[in-house]
Amino acid sequence: MALLSEVKKDYGKLKNYVNGEWIDSTSGKYIDIENPTTGASIGQVPMSSADETKAAIDAANEAWWAWRETPPITRARVFFKLKEIMEQNFEDIARIMVQEQGKTIDEARGETRRTIENVETAAGIPTLMMGYGLEDGGAEGIDEEAVISPLGVFAAVCPFNFPAMIPYWFWPYAVAAGNTYIIKPSSQVPVTQNYLTTLVEKAGFPPGVLNIVNGSHEVSDTLMEHPKVKGISFVGSTPVAKYIYKKSAENGKRVQAQGGAKNSLVVMPDAVLDRTISNMLASFYGCAGQRCLAGSNLVAIGNVAEPLLKSFVERSKKIKVGYGLDESVNMGPVISAKAKAKVLDYIDGAEKAGAKVLLDGRKIKVQGYEKGHFVGPTVIDGVTPDMKLAKEEVFGPVVGFLRMDSMDEALDFIHSSPFGNAASIYTQSGKLARDFRYRCQVGNVGINVGLVAAMAYFPFAGYKNSFFGDLHGQGQDAVKFFTDRKVVITRWF
Amino acid sequence: MVECDFPECNTFGSVIRFALELEKGAAGVCEEFSREPNAAAAAETFKALAAAHKKRGELLEFTRQQKLNEMILEPIQDMERQKYLINTKTPKGANVKTAAKFAAAIEDTSAKFYSDSAKIAKMLMAEAARIMDKLGKENLANKAKLESL
Repeated sequence: MALLSEVKKDYGKLKNYVNGEWIDSTSGKYIDIENPTTGASIGQVPMSSADETKAAIDAANEAWWAWRETPPITRARVFFKLKEIMEQNFEDIARIMVQEQGKTIDEARGETRRTIENVETAAGIPTLMMGYGLEDGGAEGIDEEAVISPLGVFAAVCPFNFPAMIPYWFWPYAVAAGNTYIIKPSSQVPVTQNYLTTLVEKAGFPPGVLNIVNGSHEVSDTLMEHPKVKGISFVGSTPVAKYIYKKSAENGKRVQAQGGAKNSLVVMPDAVLDRTISNMLASFYGCAGQRCLAGSNLVAIGNVAEPLLKSFVERSKKIKVGYGLDESVNMGPVISAKAKAKVLDYIDGAEKAGAKVLLDGRKIKVQGYEKGHFVGPTVIDGVTPDMKLAKEEVFGPVVGFLRMDSMDEALDFIHSSPFGNAASIYTQSGKLARDFRYRCQVGNVGINVGLVAAMAYFPFAGYKNSFFGDLHGQGQDAVKFFTDRKVVITRWF
Repeated sequence: MVECDFPECNTFGSVIRFALELEKGAAGVCEEFSREPNAAAAAETFKALAAAHKKRGELLEFTRQQKLNEMILEPIQDMERQKYLINTKTPKGANVKTAAKFAAAIEDTSAKFYSDSAKIAKMLMAEAARIMDKLGKENLANKAKLESL
């Protein structure tokens, strides 16, 4: 099967998008953007300066009031237009993502769909941000109402694993609600977001309403420190999420900072094994395990362990690894050589700690892609709760297999984790499923679903060290994050 | 001869790609027969079938773009590519009977492909399964039409 074509071989030097114009960075500092499958450079991303970031903040702030005065239904119409343009360019968005992130084309198409779904959901803003009122709510002849208002400039600092979707958990809601916005894409995968912004430009948003500033810490720190920025959304690792939360809060900003995860998938003896394994393969190996919702620990309860492990390993062996632009590939590489080294380190460590590597992805060779950062599907048996592999986020296609006696033991194990992003149970028992759902202290619970990824109209975030903040991304939570309530009490003489 | 490039069927995208190749192959074969002087009596039927297969291709593209949900992207490990390959090398100078038999074989294989892929899709994505099921039924109707020529 021939590979799908790449949209471009080289995207050149990326520009920033500020006040409706594409401008070259003045920093003079660029880093290469690497295709993690081929190892080839596909462009350069600027490391913008603090001054360039401040200029974007000023532009967003200048644009704010006129955009805020634009009626919600008019703002919504621009999002309808954007949706239409994104549908027309659907395949290009997906292919660019494969090229710079390494995920498979199916995963990239799925992500593109979810990106568009956030635009569709945000387009419901006239309903989503309605306030409420009560006649005579103050006293006889005195009416009281709460109106929902935008706040000004918001910004997002984004990760590498979902180059299209994650910025869209935030900015469409912020902008639809009447705010203006700045995105700092991940410097590892900036091309997708830069391409999407060319579509935003075509949709007809006024200059300054959405801005892109490429770069690294200097950009993020400026956004967090600047008094005109009202709030920050972040997705990434837990240490950085903590830093962002603390620094932004110190500067009086609203914050939603999503961190790392360590998700367990619990298989009960009555689970439908064939379907369960199929579903778990997608959870453990999808996006090469680089999802904050990826399965990481496979917890077998009682006598299901042996048949489950045997079948899971057999089916893991069939996962086809390669370039995601081959539609028959099930899994691509991890994002970088550094990320690969980290994943291999976890596997080595588990082996040294006494666990047994039943399926070893460390030495995988993918013909034609010798420079790709591939780690093959890896299944490690004999993992115990005290091992590093069972506790820390690996962010790679590595399955730690644990054996436990009961669901209670599994829940204790899940709750011993500092993370609380997701957990799943596979069972045919409604009672057990209900117990699990009720007792499990994580932000996303799956019942026979291994990838508990909230749709655009539901909130997304985890518990504990997986999330710092209160209002989540997406849906109504996002609208609340980007707005405030203003109470108006009225009396006429 | 219509060139087709059939992938392995181990992902949702590759199953749809396989289906698109089937439709391209079927449309191409029907177009070639519609231009075959010895099968001129069935030219309109072949033209209509070619147009129908092209339209089915558009439906598949739409399905791939609109129905795909990454939450249910499970690897597909039960479909053997070999079972669904079709012959698109049309015989030169075919008369109506020969052409109809040739095209009916493609419809038959396609019907099997859609029936099997609908069963798999049903577990993952009911909307896609319904479309596969519909396409398979159309293949069987096309086959019957061709066999009656």
